Amino acid sequence: MSFSRPYDNRAWLGVLPVLLLVAFSGVIPLMTVVNYSVQDILDFNSRYFVGLDWYRETLGDPRFLDAFIRQLGFSATILAIEIPLGLLVARGMPRPSTNRGLTTSLLLVLLAIPLLIPWNVVGTIWQIYARSDIGLLGVFVNALGISYNYASDPLHAWITLVAMDVWHWTSLVALLAFAGLTAINPAYYQAAELDGANAWQTFRYVELPKLKGVLIIAVLLRLMDSFMIYTEPFVLTGGGPGNATTFLSQYLTTMAVGQFDLGPAAAFSVIYFLFILLFCWLFYSSVVQKADA
Amino acid sequence: MTRIAIEDLAFRYPGAPSDTLSSLQLEICSGEAHALLGASGAGKTTLLNLLSGLLRPSSGRILFDGKDVSNLAPKLRNIAQVFQFPVLYDAMNVANNLAFPLRNFGFAPSDIESRVARIADELDLRSALDRKVSGLSLFEKQLVSVGKALIRPNVDVVLLDEPLTAVEPHRKWQLRQSLKRVQVDLGVTMIYVTHDQTEALTFADRVSVLTVDGILQTATPEAIYAEPSFEAVGSFVGSPGMDFVNVAGLSRVPSNLDASQKLGLRPEWVELCVPGDGMTAGVCDDIVVLGTAFGERVGIATVTTPAGTINVRTSGDVALGTQLGIRFKRAAVYRDTALVGSHEF
Repeated sequence: MSFSRPYDNRAWLGVLPVLLLVAFSGVIPLMTVVNYSVQDILDFNSRYFVGLDWYRETLGDPRFLDAFIRQLGFSATILAIEIPLGLLVARGMPRPSTNRGLTTSLLLVLLAIPLLIPWNVVGTIWQIYARSDIGLLGVFVNALGISYNYASDPLHAWITLVAMDVWHWTSLVALLAFAGLTAINPAYYQAAELDGANAWQTFRYVELPKLKGVLIIAVLLRLMDSFMIYTEPFVLTGGGPGNATTFLSQYLTTMAVGQFDLGPAAAFSVIYFLFILLFCWLFYSSVVQKADA
Repeated sequence: MTRIAIEDLAFRYPGAPSDTLSSLQLEICSGEAHALLGASGAGKTTLLNLLSGLLRPSSGRILFDGKDVSNLAPKLRNIAQVFQFPVLYDAMNVANNLAFPLRNFGFAPSDIESRVARIADELDLRSALDRKVSGLSLFEKQLVSVGKALIRPNVDVVLLDEPLTAVEPHRKWQLRQSLKRVQVDLGVTMIYVTHDQTEALTFADRVSVLTVDGILQTATPEAIYAEPSFEAVGSFVGSPGMDFVNVAGLSRVPSNLDASQKLGLRPEWVELCVPGDGMTAGVCDDIVVLGTAFGERVGIATVTTPAGTINVRTSGDVALGTQLGIRFKRAAVYRDTALVGSHEF
């Protein structure tokens, strides 16, 4: 007895809605940007094909390179702080099994609060909080005898920006890590205790390997998000003092919306997009390959 | 090697209306393989957690070689444990997993090396020593878990919590053999918790049958099978369990038995005969064929008699619905569910 698989091309109609959705929400806008990136657009009636000129120009633009390096520095800094700090917070939380879970629930709500605040409000909160004339933090730091003014000192602006991002996003890492920790079977802790493992060994050999999956997700999320950061520095420092806190997205917005340089801005966008893709791929494949080896 | 004594042990979970374990008495000899056999809910895991120190007794004591450890933390008790599923360090290879407890307890590097080699030899893990744990099969992983539990030469007792649960069915027998062999070779005291009577009876030197009423019997596997001290033990152990018939319902009663007693029968203690020839007779209403021996079918016939249902080991053909007599060869004798003796016919 043989089976013949029924073919019916009308089934393609079933995937049509998805194809349309993806096309209109993703592919067509992206291709529009690619299309812009190879043209010089004076106005929408006079445009000229310029090939890869805008790409060449963008990659040779010192302001782009500066913003790019700043961006790398920012992402690296906040990752280096938020991942370990988030882990630490998650480890410090009481596990639901050890008490009635009330403390845990309260802490979880507290942790979630920064994540629920709109990004421009976060910027505003810190913009006021850190002001050296009326802000609680700014006045306090100055009262300690440390001259602090994020509006005029690039280093202070950076520190404030990093502090704001850590305040805003460490919760996310902590929540992810906490979810990972609660998923570890208590038998592993029991075994480690019977094996004479100390606290560090328990963390290194029991918790860290089991948290690998969620930590990869946490790093990827924070890497992508921090690489695209726009709203908070825009509100807090406006990219200044000078260009000290101008990151890629802000430079891009200035170009596209402020100066209406659609061609170069499009080329910039494509490069930007490819870099984010590249970093995530590099990180993910290096971690996954290392695990397989 | 350590003698373990449990004295008047009781435990009640916080907020529970009654004790999970109460007035428990048990002595386990040094170097003994002891099985705690019981259905789920009997308190096996609770007892194990009390032994490992995860739980503290409500009253009573646990003594290791006369030393009271009832209120010591797990890490101060000098025990090792094998869990229901392999609990290993994924980031280390097999050799480092085995060496980990030794390093933590301050053994010298040369001692560690020889001990790891010894245990690897015992468990046939020599060729796997350099392999990553994540690449091993479930069976091999559990074997490494056993190795890790046995690695410290001075450990007082090794607790095994249903260690064959996660292992592939066809490898269970093999792992049990390895466990038994290494237990004999190293002479370590082992407490093996299981709900599987085959595991308990084949692994242990002595078996304790645990029910919600406490430990009903502690004895060798042979004694548990042949002389269950309570009817509950008899019906729980054996496949099928022991059958109990009322002496009053038998057609012929031997002179030294009285009508208030019950007889406990194993399938191989009785045989089929022509009706009227045996102690009782009934209708065969089920036959389970176990296999063949010397060209004949061997199986168990279930016969309903006035005294009760009796499973009989048979060879040859038996037709369903036929009237059969049953002759007794031996029986365990019970009064009020407790064993009072045995009877040879």
